[in-house]
Amino acid sequence: MPGSLGRRTLLARSSAAGFFMVAGQWAYLTPREAQARQFDPQILTPDQTEALSTVGEVLVPGARSAGFAAYIDLQLQAGKRSLLIGKYLGVDTHTQTAFYRAAADNLILALEQDTAPEDVAESMAADTLTDWAGPPASYVFFVLRADALDVTYGTPEGFEQLGIPYMAHIMPEQPW
Amino acid sequence: MTGQPDVVIVGAGAAGLMLAARLAEGGQSVTVLEAGPERHLGDLISSQIWARKLKWSEPAVSESGDHKIGHAFNAGSGTGGSAIHHYGVWLRMHEGDFSVNSAHGKGLDWPFAYSDLASHYDRVQAEVGLSGDSGLERWRPEGAPYPMPPLPLFAQARVLAKGFEKTGRHTAPLPLAINSEPYRGRASCQYDGWCDAGCPIGALGNPLVTWLPRALAAGVRLEHNARATRVLRHADNSSRIESVEYLQDGQLKTIRGDRIIIAAFAVQSVRILLSSATDGHLAPGNHSDQLGRYLMTHPAATVFGLFEEETHPHQGVSAGQLLCHDEYDNKNAPGGFGSSQWMIGHAIKPHDLLGYGTSRPDITGAELEPWLKRAARHLGNMTLVCEDIALPDNRITLSERVDADGIPCAHTHHDLDPGAAARWSQRMAEGQEILRAAGATAVWQGPRIGMHIMGGAVMGNDPAQSVTDAFGRAHDTDNLYIAGPALFPSSGAVNPTFTLTAMASRQADYLLGKSCPPTPLDPTPSALNPSHFKRGTHDSIGELFHY
Repeated sequence: MPGSLGRRTLLARSSAAGFFMVAGQWAYLTPREAQARQFDPQILTPDQTEALSTVGEVLVPGARSAGFAAYIDLQLQAGKRSLLIGKYLGVDTHTQTAFYRAAADNLILALEQDTAPEDVAESMAADTLTDWAGPPASYVFFVLRADALDVTYGTPEGFEQLGIPYMAHIMPEQPW
Repeated sequence: MTGQPDVVIVGAGAAGLMLAARLAEGGQSVTVLEAGPERHLGDLISSQIWARKLKWSEPAVSESGDHKIGHAFNAGSGTGGSAIHHYGVWLRMHEGDFSVNSAHGKGLDWPFAYSDLASHYDRVQAEVGLSGDSGLERWRPEGAPYPMPPLPLFAQARVLAKGFEKTGRHTAPLPLAINSEPYRGRASCQYDGWCDAGCPIGALGNPLVTWLPRALAAGVRLEHNARATRVLRHADNSSRIESVEYLQDGQLKTIRGDRIIIAAFAVQSVRILLSSATDGHLAPGNHSDQLGRYLMTHPAATVFGLFEEETHPHQGVSAGQLLCHDEYDNKNAPGGFGSSQWMIGHAIKPHDLLGYGTSRPDITGAELEPWLKRAARHLGNMTLVCEDIALPDNRITLSERVDADGIPCAHTHHDLDPGAAARWSQRMAEGQEILRAAGATAVWQGPRIGMHIMGGAVMGNDPAQSVTDAFGRAHDTDNLYIAGPALFPSSGAVNPTFTLTAMASRQADYLLGKSCPPTPLDPTPSALNPSHFKRGTHDSIGELFHY
C-alpha cells in the first residue's frame, strides 16, 4: 500500500529473466554480459545475430557491446511476453520472430554486397536496397534503431552515460 | 462468496473497478473478471521497457486504415487495465463536445448534456484527488475547484510558456490526477517521470490506489487471468443475459449475474459482444448493426525543440506541466474541423516510442551520443491532441484469426476525417511556430499517432443509431450494460479517463436506484424485447423503429 512505500527504497523486483546459453550452460546474465561471453543464440542464428550487431552498432554506437543481439534473441524467446518495441509499431508478438529473422537475413545479404555497414544503414533508410524482401527496409531501420536505443540508453547505465539521473521508484533488477 | 452475484463486471480498469466499488458499497454483491494478471504497486518497475508488460498483447488486434488506433500502445491488461499506465491528465469535456452533430452536422450527439455529468465530475475529482488551478483555466466548464493546488512548474515549462505568451496564447497548469500534496493517505508526487511504467508510490490516481482498495473492502471478488469469451442469453428469456463465459486456467467457465457490465475497454468490449452472436440471435447490442461502429482515436503528435537554456526535461511528470485550450470551443475555426489542446512540457526519456532519441531516426553514428546529451538538458516538447469525428465506417469487427486458445481476435479499421486531419496539420504548424517563439534553435515533430481509444458501442437516445441508452444498457437487453470509453459518441480533444469515470459514477447511481433514466426517448425493455431481433424476422431496422 502507498503508505508503506518509501522514497526509492523499494526492493528491486522484476519477473524478466535473463538466461543465456554460454559454452553449453545456462547462465543468468545481462545482455551486455552475454555478448561479452559470446552467448549461443536460441532463436536467431549466429550469422543473424552478427548481422544485427553490425548494423545496430552503426545505428547506435555502443549497441553491440550493450548486447543488442542478445537482447533481441532473449526477448524473442519470451514469445507473447516479449518486451521488444515492435509491439507498439505493428510487429505483433506472434510475428516478431519471423520479422527479425527476415530482417537479419536481409542484412546478411546486404552486408555481403556492400563492404561498409554504414552504407547498408544509409540504403535501408532510403529504401534503396534492391534485394530487400519483406517489410520496407526503412521501417526495419526504425524498429532496429529503437531497439538499439533501448538496450544502449534505456538502462540506468545508459542514463548515466547521458548525464541523466535515473531516479527510479523501483530499480529494475534487469538493466531494463 | 457463494451463490450468484448481483453484478458481474468484465474488466478491472478505471470504469470496471469504479463501478465495482460503488455498487459493492451500495450493498450489491459483485464479481469482476479481469483478462490480465494481478498487479500490485510493487510490480511497477521504473523502466520504459518493463512498462510494455502493462500493455495489451493477446489476443492481438489487427488494424487497418489511414489513422490506426495504436491498440498495443493505448490498451492495457491486468489489475487497473489501461489506467494503470495512464498519465493522469484529467480534463472535463466541454459543453460543446456533447452536441457535435446538432451544432455542426458532424459525428454524433451524446444522449445527455455536460450539466448532467457535472456533479459526477465534481464527485469523482474529490474521491480521486486532482491537482490544478481552475481559476487559471479560462476555458474550463463550470465545476468545483480542484481539491489540490497544481503541481510545480519546472524549467522546461517555464521556457515553453514564453512561446505561448509571445504568440498571444494562454496557458494554465495541467490538471492532473496526481497528488501535489498528500491526499487521502496517498503520497505526493516525486516528479521522476516514470508515470508510463505505473506509479508505485500511489501519487498518480490509478485504480490500484483509488477504486481497488474500496472494492476489496466492500467485498468485491476479483478473478484474474479470466478472459471473457462471450455473454450468453437466458434460454427462456432472450432479452436477458444470463451469464458470462470465460477462459481461466485452461478451462472454459461461466458465471451468472443479475446484471452484466462489460467494461473491457473499447475494442475488447466489442469483441466479446460480437462473439456472442448465435445462430438464433444477433450479438447483444447489435440490433441495428451499430455495434463496433464509430470507433475513434485522437489524432495526436509531439513537437520537439532544442533551446539554449537548460530545460532539464527529465523532471516532472509524463503528462506535462501546462495546458492550452485556446480555440477549443471554436470547432468551426478556419483550417479544419474540431477542437484541439496542447499538453506542454512532458518529462521525457531518451528512448521508447515517445522518447527524444526515437524522434530523430535521422541521427545515427558518431553524431548520436553528443546530440542525446544535449537533448537531455536542453529539450522542450509538447503534444497536440485533436478531436476525432465519429464515422460509421470506422469499425471494430471480428478477425478471421483466432488466438492460441481459439478466441476470435478483433480487427479495427480507422480512417481520419479530412476536416480533423486538416485541423491536426494546422495546429502542428502552429506548434512549431510556438516553439520557435519560445527560442528553440531547432524544431521538429513526431509522426501523427492515435492517442486514446473511444467508441464502438456508442450510447444514444435513438436505438436505430446507437448500441446503448444513456445509462449504458444495451437497447435490446434488460440487464446488459457497457461501461468505459466504448460508450463515447464523440471524442472531444481531451484525455478520456475523467469523463469515462464520471460516466461510470452516473451509471452506478442509476444501478443503485439513485436516479431515473431519461424519458421518453429511452425505450423500455418491454418495447425492445430482443426476441424481436432474431435473425430473419425483419427485413429492415425500419420495421422495428419508426424514426
